[in-house]
Amino acid sequence: MRNPLVMDCGVFTSNYREDMAILHHPGAKLKVLVVLVFFLALPFMVNAYYVSVVNLIGIAIIGAVGLNILVGFTGQISIGHGAFMGVGAYAAGMMTATLGWSFWIALPAGGLAAALVGGLFGIPSLRLKGLYLAIATLAAQVIIEFGIIHWPALTRGPAGMVLPAPTVGGLVLNDDTTFYYLILAITVGAVVFALNLFRTRTGRAFMAVRDRDLAASVMGINLFKYKVAAFAVSSFYAGIAGALWGHYLGVISPEYFTIKVSILFLAMIIIGGLGSVMGAIYGACFMTLLPIFLRETADYFGGGLGGLTHIMLAMQEAVFGLLIILFLIFEPEGLAKMWRKVKDYFKLWPYSY
Amino acid sequence: MKKRGLAVICLLLAAALLAGGCGGGSAPPAETKKEIVIGGIIDLTGPTGDVGSPFHDGAQAYFKYLNGKGGLDGHPVRLEAIDYAYEIKRAQEAYNKLVKSTGVPAILGWGTGDTDALKGFVAKDEIPYLSGSYSEYLTDIEACPYNFVLAASYSDQARIALKWAKDNWPEARAPKLSFVYNNTPFGTSHLEDAKSFAQELGFELVGDEVLDLRTLDATTQMLNLKNNGADFAIIQGTSNLAATVLKDARKLEVPTQFIGLNWAFDEKIVQLAGVAANGYIGVVPFAFPGEDVAGMADIKAYLESKGKGFGDVNQKFVQGWMSAMVMLEGVRLSGGDFTGPGIRKGLESLSGFDPAGLGAPVTFTSESHRGSVHARLAQVQDGGMVYLTDWISYK
Repeated sequence: MRNPLVMDCGVFTSNYREDMAILHHPGAKLKVLVVLVFFLALPFMVNAYYVSVVNLIGIAIIGAVGLNILVGFTGQISIGHGAFMGVGAYAAGMMTATLGWSFWIALPAGGLAAALVGGLFGIPSLRLKGLYLAIATLAAQVIIEFGIIHWPALTRGPAGMVLPAPTVGGLVLNDDTTFYYLILAITVGAVVFALNLFRTRTGRAFMAVRDRDLAASVMGINLFKYKVAAFAVSSFYAGIAGALWGHYLGVISPEYFTIKVSILFLAMIIIGGLGSVMGAIYGACFMTLLPIFLRETADYFGGGLGGLTHIMLAMQEAVFGLLIILFLIFEPEGLAKMWRKVKDYFKLWPYSY
Repeated sequence: MKKRGLAVICLLLAAALLAGGCGGGSAPPAETKKEIVIGGIIDLTGPTGDVGSPFHDGAQAYFKYLNGKGGLDGHPVRLEAIDYAYEIKRAQEAYNKLVKSTGVPAILGWGTGDTDALKGFVAKDEIPYLSGSYSEYLTDIEACPYNFVLAASYSDQARIALKWAKDNWPEARAPKLSFVYNNTPFGTSHLEDAKSFAQELGFELVGDEVLDLRTLDATTQMLNLKNNGADFAIIQGTSNLAATVLKDARKLEVPTQFIGLNWAFDEKIVQLAGVAANGYIGVVPFAFPGEDVAGMADIKAYLESKGKGFGDVNQKFVQGWMSAMVMLEGVRLSGGDFTGPGIRKGLESLSGFDPAGLGAPVTFTSESHRGSVHARLAQVQDGGMVYLTDWISYK
């Protein structure tokens, strides 16, 4: 048995299978196990409010990982992510609420619908790059939002759509705790899929497109196929996140999937770290928890929403903005890089060279 | 670089501590009865903060005013409010904090989108929810059994305006009608009902004009309106949007009579649009500060105790005050059962509750949570508000 307190100085592998493992160190496996057990036990340790916050983070992680596949790994920008979430939510909602299908069919189908629409809006990506593509995806955002509001026969328009809670056998998933496990399972699945995606031919092609699409094309990578595929995969994630959120809330309306949501997700992956699956996770946690943390701080010092409310709250928004700017200046590679630096520091300590 | 980061953090902490030092209030007097805490989900820093902030001030003021009078039957009351910046995700988080952590039995809410988003939770957790949104959809008691709509819904407000417009139409031909709105659920919630009512009354519908809430230019839309020859246009949006419309309409000499619903008509419109606001009609479900109604005396007394006057507040303050008043009246009528279902029963026993002129009398029953179908119409004349009607309904 190896001593868990001793730092590794390297990993010795003797076959390809070991070489390809995501978790190289035995310690890493233990760490992941501990984290998983912690999250499985979480609802028994804290009250429903904290569980609900973790639920929101979980949904944000799915969306952020999806967007990072497109922006961080394939180098294509999208500010229509919120709308693609809406497509997933509405497609799944129509299946469960209008057609009465099972949630377990509607969820992946919602993801597929979003992938289809996302892929469609990804077609211009062959000709457009950078800001041009950003504006093209902004068009997707506007068109989809408009469609949801003005097609009441399909979406029930501004009235919104009431969605039934998913069921497993006789168990109805309609409270924070039961939904927590559903979200946890899907989040873990989404993260593992993304981690593996970049070890496959497709994932490598995505990164080749990001690094230099002309070179990738010379190497025989079908740019059109992979660019559209990146949009589709990313939108699939968004659709799943949207469908989950809709069914968690039990109701969806056009106001949920606005451009603000798209921008929030972009901020998540930028702060977390572009081109890093873990970064998307850190970013999602950070952006969901930051407003709560700032509000609690403001409440603590401002004495609830009394006297100094307005100044404290205005300051809260300013601190939010300031933190984002500081991140971009001092650690453009995001929280993932910061965490890696911390780990490296301890790995080498006390001999830092 | 590390030092600089540390310095920034220290600076932030110092600023926060400094602000905290000033914020310490005096401890509440010892009370024997249990405190009643009502939740609040409000917008102070988001896009509707301009109206959300005075609304919240009004609601807080009523809680303080009641405490000053010895509380609610001896129980001190408190409004535990959370700013959600008009973001649905943050509203959901705030709701969970209030209900699952603080344990409030009822909530004063705010926008259409978030109230709608929370209606499922509200029903499941049995939390009576009185919001600043008067969307028609929230009056559907089957879908929203715990939502209460305080004033005439947006649909009813539009119907009141249409009825009045038709009744006062002097010509023999059918009046032409257009709708000016923003493309959000809030902006479009009245459309369907209003259009079918307009057709019933014999209006001729001409094209709709869609404008963004924060737009600063409505020239294209106003030219359309002029070409369409609309005699009336119903505006659904905030006062900012209405001001833009009125200014551009005046510039292009559009002859249309504009009628704004609740959020598109208040004191701000005169400040923003100036002379262009003259003749603008609004559907007014709540009184303006300083109006000659009995309920103003309490507001005046409260404001004077804070060294302020009617000039320091606006109509949204009155609206927040009255929302808090109705909510706490429901709590009082719960007969000591300060739980969600108890307060719901209390609210449902409000029958013709008279807010002393601050708004139309409110009636909730177990079959209907539509508080009122009445509103007044007011017109801007020479920079002041003049009421055209008393409390009327479209029926």
